[in-house]
Parts: sequence; structure tokens; C-alpha cells
Amino acid sequence: MNLELQKGSRSKKLIAMVAIIMAIFVMRLFYLQIIRHDYYVGLADEEQVKRLTIPSKRGNIYGLNGNTPVPLVLNQTVYTVFADPQTVTDDDKIIEVIKRVAGGNARSDLQALLDKANSRYQILATKVTRAQANLIKNENLNGIGFQEESQRVYPEGSLAAQTLGFLNFNGEARYGVESKLNSRLTGTDGLLQSVTDVSDVPLTIGDNNINQPAVDGENIVLSIDRNVQSHVEQFLADGLKRTGATNGSAIVMDPQTGKIMAMANLPTYSPAEFNKVEDAAVFNNGVVSAPYEPGSDVKTLTMATGIDKGVVSANSTYVNTDYIQVEDRTITNATLGQTGTITFQHALNWSLNTGFVTVAERLGDGKSVNRQSRDIMYDYFHNKFKLGQLTGVEVAGEAAGIVISPDKSEGNAVRYSNMSFGQGLDVTMVQVAAAFSSIVNGGKYYKPTVLAGIVNSDGKYIANKIASASNTVSESTANQVREMAHVARNVFFNSVDKAGYYIGGKTGTSQVIKDGVYSDNETVGTYLGYGGSEETSRYVIMVQVSGDNMELQGSRDALPIFTDISNWMIDYLKIEPKV
Amino acid sequence: MSYQRNQNFNSRRQQNWSRNQNTVAFVSAIKLGPVTHTVLIALMITVLGLIYLTQATRATSYDYATQKIDNQIADLNTQKSDLEIENARLTALETVKNSSVATTMTAPTSTEYAQ
Repeated sequence: MNLELQKGSRSKKLIAMVAIIMAIFVMRLFYLQIIRHDYYVGLADEEQVKRLTIPSKRGNIYGLNGNTPVPLVLNQTVYTVFADPQTVTDDDKIIEVIKRVAGGNARSDLQALLDKANSRYQILATKVTRAQANLIKNENLNGIGFQEESQRVYPEGSLAAQTLGFLNFNGEARYGVESKLNSRLTGTDGLLQSVTDVSDVPLTIGDNNINQPAVDGENIVLSIDRNVQSHVEQFLADGLKRTGATNGSAIVMDPQTGKIMAMANLPTYSPAEFNKVEDAAVFNNGVVSAPYEPGSDVKTLTMATGIDKGVVSANSTYVNTDYIQVEDRTITNATLGQTGTITFQHALNWSLNTGFVTVAERLGDGKSVNRQSRDIMYDYFHNKFKLGQLTGVEVAGEAAGIVISPDKSEGNAVRYSNMSFGQGLDVTMVQVAAAFSSIVNGGKYYKPTVLAGIVNSDGKYIANKIASASNTVSESTANQVREMAHVARNVFFNSVDKAGYYIGGKTGTSQVIKDGVYSDNETVGTYLGYGGSEETSRYVIMVQVSGDNMELQGSRDALPIFTDISNWMIDYLKIEPKV
Repeated sequence: MSYQRNQNFNSRRQQNWSRNQNTVAFVSAIKLGPVTHTVLIALMITVLGLIYLTQATRATSYDYATQKIDNQIADLNTQKSDLEIENARLTALETVKNSSVATTMTAPTSTEYAQ
């Protein structure tokens, strides 16, 4: 009996001990698995769950070839080849393969790089293409690795460089469309959150997986026609060579839509080699970012203002004495001798300043450029023709320029007299070309644009609709000024244009302000004109040439460039001549 | 007079069968002890675990297949981009201008316009 009791007692003790141990285990497990659950899950996730960024693709930029998009800026996957000197086994073979395959993209001091035994990462070659990278991979070299990256490539080289802009080495958009439309071109990176294996292969286990696909940037189609752009650049380069000018800009617009077909600036650069540029000024698109005093080109706009207000017409007359007194200033004509009673058409032909100061006076009391005439001129120049304000063209770095309001003390009679023939206001070429387009299209102002549409994810080109226009002058006024510009061109230059077409324009030669005063030995030559059939103008072209301490003239230096472009445009647009 | 046994003999207990179902218990000849039960349960758990592991492994193998296909797609996209770039370079204005076809072209002597 005692023995049985003792036996039972031992068993109970054993059971009790086991129970206690089990209880400790259960409590410990409860603590670890229940109370500390989140902590350990966090630790496990940190180890096993990876958050991988799915990079989005930056949108391509296309131009036009007629009505078909052609690529101007594309993305290319390239590789950086690097070595881990501690695991490299065959230096000679690596050097031979890298030099043979990567060529100019290989570093020159490969042996020195591989000799850095303390380093684990040495770059041997950069910007290696996929095909080159595959050739290197096929050699099975120990200690060699590859890093993938994307770079912009420019199939058309330096074509329209200032309009396109570029991405710097940090991938930041600089200048041009790249910068202005960066938000549209940039996509949104995707996210992949998943448990991965040791090779970072995502696994479908776990319940917190995220697969958010990347959204690529928009593929933008510019209205820049590569054929027009290429020829404009060539004609501009030829013109600079002929005249000796060091800088030149040109714009070609479709006056019926506001679409810009070409914007050229010289000197230029290659966006793929932006780092080799010494003077950062070449990055600027002078057509949109360099305000200047436009000179006599503006006389067409002054004339349109006068005709639209009913105070003058092409055949109205005034007495030209070659000078006109405005307050304490005497304004004289650049060309002397056309004195007497002459028409405003004659004044436009000979670009006589006095004629356009007279128009300004007739907008008021007919004797002076009073407040009424200044208000009218400001309304037309600034509010209707939109001079001295941003046009909103989709190129970075656009400058507004300035047209001083008559409300300001500087907006006095002298300034507005000067403004009537193109001095005393700062405007950009794109502003002047857009305003002039509204004259040659019947009085409709279209916002200048370089956007033609997009290429969607299926590769289909979707063209933008033509934006609505605002009215500048009446159709009758526009037609009269268009005719006046046609006459002004044909009086002196009727033999240079192709026969059977309706072409007009106005020269401009403006003094350059240096240190606050007009320079005596430097002028900018411009020409502003249009072309097409008598019924419809198909293009507006503006050309500007300049150079330090150079006296360049609109008629001698800019006009021939306009003529070259115009005659080529007639063929390119297949405009039928009038017999 | 012969005695004939009624073949449908029903005992009182049988008559009350519906009321006393558990009156008779038939014990199986095979007897399983507690160890056997434990082993069987362990085996069942093992089988279920193996089934789970098989399915989980199969799902993971799909992940590797998916990853392989994703890599192929990425590689093909890169090849497509490279070919697009090559195509763009071959059809670029400068290339066309310097092509043998372009150099042998002549200017038209006359132009006709379709009405």
C-alpha cells in the first residue's frame, strides 16, 4: 500500500513537472507568437519582403515628316560595365574584351583600375549598348558586372536642338520641350512589394503583396516638320556664312493654325553631347527667349491698328518732310528724300518712320500721340496682338518682353511714337510671328504652339484639335495690310520669288541697346513675311541675323534667307501657282 | 400434432428495439491503443503538411516561370527599342541625304498639280 502510494506520488510529480514545463513553453510561445507577433512579423518582412521600384519609361518626342510622326528623341537601354578587383581572375582577358567590344566607351586605364585590390567596384566602360553587353557577358569573365540605365538618343542629331532640350547627367530635364513638358514626359514609377527568394525573385506567398504597374510618360508629337526644320537650319547657316553674321534665328509658322513648323537657332549644339558645349547661351531658343526691339517689322501692326480704327488706309496720304517732332525729340527717316505728299503704302514700301508716327497721331487728335492714341496702340499691341506677354509656347525659357503701358510715366508720347516703327518695346520673334500670322489669316490670333498631338500606347498618332482663335483686326483690315506687305515686297524684290505665288513681307533693321543707349555700330537685321496663294497664306517666316559690332540689315542680310526658305516651302507644300 | 416453430420469433427485447438501441454493443475485433491513435494522427498531420508543401511549392514554381517570362518580355522590349532606334537612325534625314539613292536623284524638269 505504501509502495503504491509512493509510486503514485512520483508519477504525479513527474506529471506536474511536465505540466509546468509545458506551461512555460506555452507561455513563452504565447509571448513570442501572440504578444510579440507584430514585432517578429516585422523582422521577418524586413528580411523577406522586398519593395522593388518598377521604373517608368520617359515619353518619346516625335516630330513630323509631312503628317507622319518621326522620332526625334528616344530612350535607349545602356549598361555600365564594372569590375570587382577582388574577384577578378584574368586581367588580360578582361582588358582585351572590354577594349575590343566597348571601344571608345571603355576607360583608358583599365589595368590600373583592376589593380585596385582594396576596391570592390571599378567602372570599366559606360554607355555600352545591349548588343555590346551581351558580347561581354558571353565571355564569362569572373568579377565583371553590369548596371542597366536609360539614356536619351537623338536619331536626327542636332536637329531642332534648342526646341528639344536635353536631360543632364542627373536625368533632370533642361531647356526646350524636355523641360517645359517634363511633367507630361515623366511617367509614374510602379511598385512591386513581395516576398522574394535569395535571387530577389518575387514569390506569391504572403498576404501583403503589391503589384502596382508603372505608368509611362506621354509620347509627344511636335508640330516641327523635320524637312522644314532641316532646310531652315541649312538656309540660315548659308545666310550667316554669306553675311558674316555670327547669330541667326528663324521661325516658320502655319498662320492658319498657329503651329510652328520650324524654329532654328545658330550656333547650335548636339543634345547628345551637351556636356561639350562651352557657351551655355547656345542652349537658349532665341526665337522664344531673346526679346529685342523688332524695328520696322512692327510697322505692319501699326498700319493694321490705323486701318482697323478707320483713321488711315493704304492710299491715304500725309506730308512727309523726313522728320517729325514729338515733344522735345525729332524723329527722322532712315531713308531720306521721299518727301512731299505720299501714301501710307509708299511709307511702308520705303519704311519711313514719319508715316507711322503720323498713324499714331491720327489714332488720337491727329496732331500728337496723345493719351487716346496711346491707349488704342496699347490695346492693339498688347491685348490683341499679344506683344510683350508670354505666348505659352511649349518651350522652356520663354521671355515675356515688355510693352510699356500708357498708365506708366515711361509710356509717354515719345515712347509710343517710337513704338509705331518698332522701337521702345521688347518682344520675341515668336510674338511678332504670331501677331503677323493674325494679319495674313484674316484677323484671327492663334496661340503659337509646337504641339501637334501624341502617339498613344498602341503607336497610333492622335492629332490635337486646332485651338480656338481670338480676333485682332477685322478681315477687311487684315486683307488690306496683307496686300500692303505684298506690294512692299514686290516694289523692290519682285524677281526673287517664284512666279505665280502671293508673297509679302517687311524688312526690319533695329539698333541694339548697349549699356542703356542705342549702339552706333551694331544693328539686327530681320525679315517678316508670308507666302502661299492669293487666297490663302500657307506660311509665315521670320528671320533674324545679328553679330557683335556688326551692322546687319533686314533687306540685305535677312531677306535673302527668307527668300530661300519661302521658295523651298512652295515646293514642299506643293502649292499650285496661279497662271 | 406436430410442433411448428414460428420463424419470426421476436423477443421482447427485439420488440422494444426502437426504444433501446444501445442495448447491444458489437466490439470490433481490431483494437487500437493510444499509441496507434497518436501515430495515426501524426501521420494524418504529416500527409496534410505534405499536401500543403506540395501546393505551396507548385505555386512558387509558377512564380519562377512568371519571372522567367517577365525577363523575356523585358529583354524583347529592350530589343524592340534598340531596333526602333536603329530604324530611326537608318531613316534619319542625314542618312537618307547621303544614301546612294538620294545622290542619284535629279531635279524634276516640270511639275504638274492635281486638280
